[in-house]
Amino acid sequence: MTRFLALRFSRALLSILLVVTFAFVVLRLSGDPALTIMSPEAPPEAIAAFRKAWGLDQPIWVQYLRYFGAIAHGELGVSMRDGRPALALVAERIPATLMITIPALMLKIALGIPAGITAALHRNTLRDRLLMAGAVAGFTVPSFVLGLVLVLVFAVRLGWLPSGGDERWTSAVLPVLTLGLGGAGILARFTRSAMLEVLGQPYIRTASAKGVPWRLVVRHHALPNAAIPTVTIVGFMVGSLIAGAVVVESVFSWPGVGRLLVVAVANRDLAVVQCILLLVSATMVTANLIVDLLYGALDPRLRVGTAAAH
Amino acid sequence: MSDLALPTPNPGPAAGVGDAASAPRQRRRSLPFGVALAAGWIVLMLVVAFGADWLRPYGITALDLRARLLPPVGFGGSIHHLLGTDELGRDVLSRLIVSIRISLLIAFCATLIAAVLGTTLGFLAAHFRGLIEQAVLMLIDFQASMPFLILALAVLAFFGNSLTLFVCLMGLYGWERHARIARGLAIAANAQGYAAAVRQLGASPLRVYLRHVLPNIASTLIVSATLSFPEIVLLESGLSFLGLGVQPPMTSLGNMVGYGREYLTRAPWILLAPSTTVVLTTLAVSMLGDWLRDRLDPTLG
Repeated sequence: MTRFLALRFSRALLSILLVVTFAFVVLRLSGDPALTIMSPEAPPEAIAAFRKAWGLDQPIWVQYLRYFGAIAHGELGVSMRDGRPALALVAERIPATLMITIPALMLKIALGIPAGITAALHRNTLRDRLLMAGAVAGFTVPSFVLGLVLVLVFAVRLGWLPSGGDERWTSAVLPVLTLGLGGAGILARFTRSAMLEVLGQPYIRTASAKGVPWRLVVRHHALPNAAIPTVTIVGFMVGSLIAGAVVVESVFSWPGVGRLLVVAVANRDLAVVQCILLLVSATMVTANLIVDLLYGALDPRLRVGTAAAH
Repeated sequence: MSDLALPTPNPGPAAGVGDAASAPRQRRRSLPFGVALAAGWIVLMLVVAFGADWLRPYGITALDLRARLLPPVGFGGSIHHLLGTDELGRDVLSRLIVSIRISLLIAFCATLIAAVLGTTLGFLAAHFRGLIEQAVLMLIDFQASMPFLILALAVLAFFGNSLTLFVCLMGLYGWERHARIARGLAIAANAQGYAAAVRQLGASPLRVYLRHVLPNIASTLIVSATLSFPEIVLLESGLSFLGLGVQPPMTSLGNMVGYGREYLTRAPWILLAPSTTVVLTTLAVSMLGDWLRDRLDPTLG
């Protein structure tokens, strides 16, 4: 188990390292910062002074290390739009995003997992086909189409719910539904295939053959084993809580991180984009790490450490 | 067995395990109805994409200010504008046809780039093993664990937008799946007699991989590309919807939905026509992909 954990920890660190490197490389490739910020007609002495002041005259590896140092100290730059620290700007949007992504995640789990299990247990029946048709519809319909159709029906035609903004709590209903229904489809398909895989295993046949009631076979033999791949995908969904609503927030003018990201990209506000990128990757990596820890709890084989290299 | 018509999940390791037993019986059966319908839709889309310039009744920027926001035929519109017009009197059908061409073209190029890139990296990993393989595996893990949309948005923010860059960026989507598959299959193929035999005969590695290994694993790679195609369509339309993908005056399906959104109450047809097209196309391609997978390679997860 310690070996397994050490491996996973080093992989998580490596991922963060890769993201920071990615940001650094992309930032440097996108143009000479001195020329971007100062006009090309600026006197060469001024450009040289600027380069010296920002450490741009140093060799590239020194700049790279400094960049790491700054990020480690939480210095993620200043928004070019309103001059405030990018981190503060992003942080104040996080609660709004979580307000729709957390209920949406619960909706996904509440709809998707039971639907997938039911479909797998009643494989090739009408129920299975209807559930899976719904699941396929759930993820082939892009979120902006689903969102706009919901607006058209519930806000424009029926007038029950607001079409956007965040003034009332009812404003959150449509974004949550849009996010939740699409994700539920993905989760249902995943759960179904995980269940089918498990139900085909010899130990299920053995358990049935020795006379264990089917209900208990499902509960004690099938579900725990099917949980492992399902946890992976749920972990991915948890990791994308902060930035998984980019499109949906734009559809409903919801003032969250995703909306900020789209605006920042459109204005090329690099500090904000970079800050969100790092934040998202940190969340993602943490979620993956938690999933790995859960594996240890769910799958005793991993605790012994023999199955770590699958 | 209409189970074939219903897509089974692509990411999991499970799909098709139970199907394998009944596969020989199904293999003889003709195309399931749903798949035939999907194939028909795809053919229609291809015809539209290739013949866009002959099929579109008007230019995409041709204005008809006297016929603004005209509803489609059957909803009070005229026969001259089958799907109605937008706020500037531009013909929605014409714009739809051109959008289909651009969206499909982008998705097709991107799928091709991803497949070539992924297969190359997979082969490199399988051939050299050791450090190179570890590096490729690390990149695969990294790509698989990051939300692609965020990475794509970051690149667009840093570099600005151009069509070439946008297509290349979309071409990074899904390469890690192709790489994983290509690596696994190439390792397996290397252990088989035929690859060793041609190598003994003095064939260069390039020849072994391109002329001998690739044809043997192509069907699996094609299926995997078919499965990632609809995802790229969705990604492209999502980014274009946000105004960060295909830029005006060019038009794409997501782009049309994006500006149609402002006329949601007065002229919902501007948005519904491209939305329906996106949904039907992604649905059709993923149905076809799932069917192909079950037929050609039930082991592919």
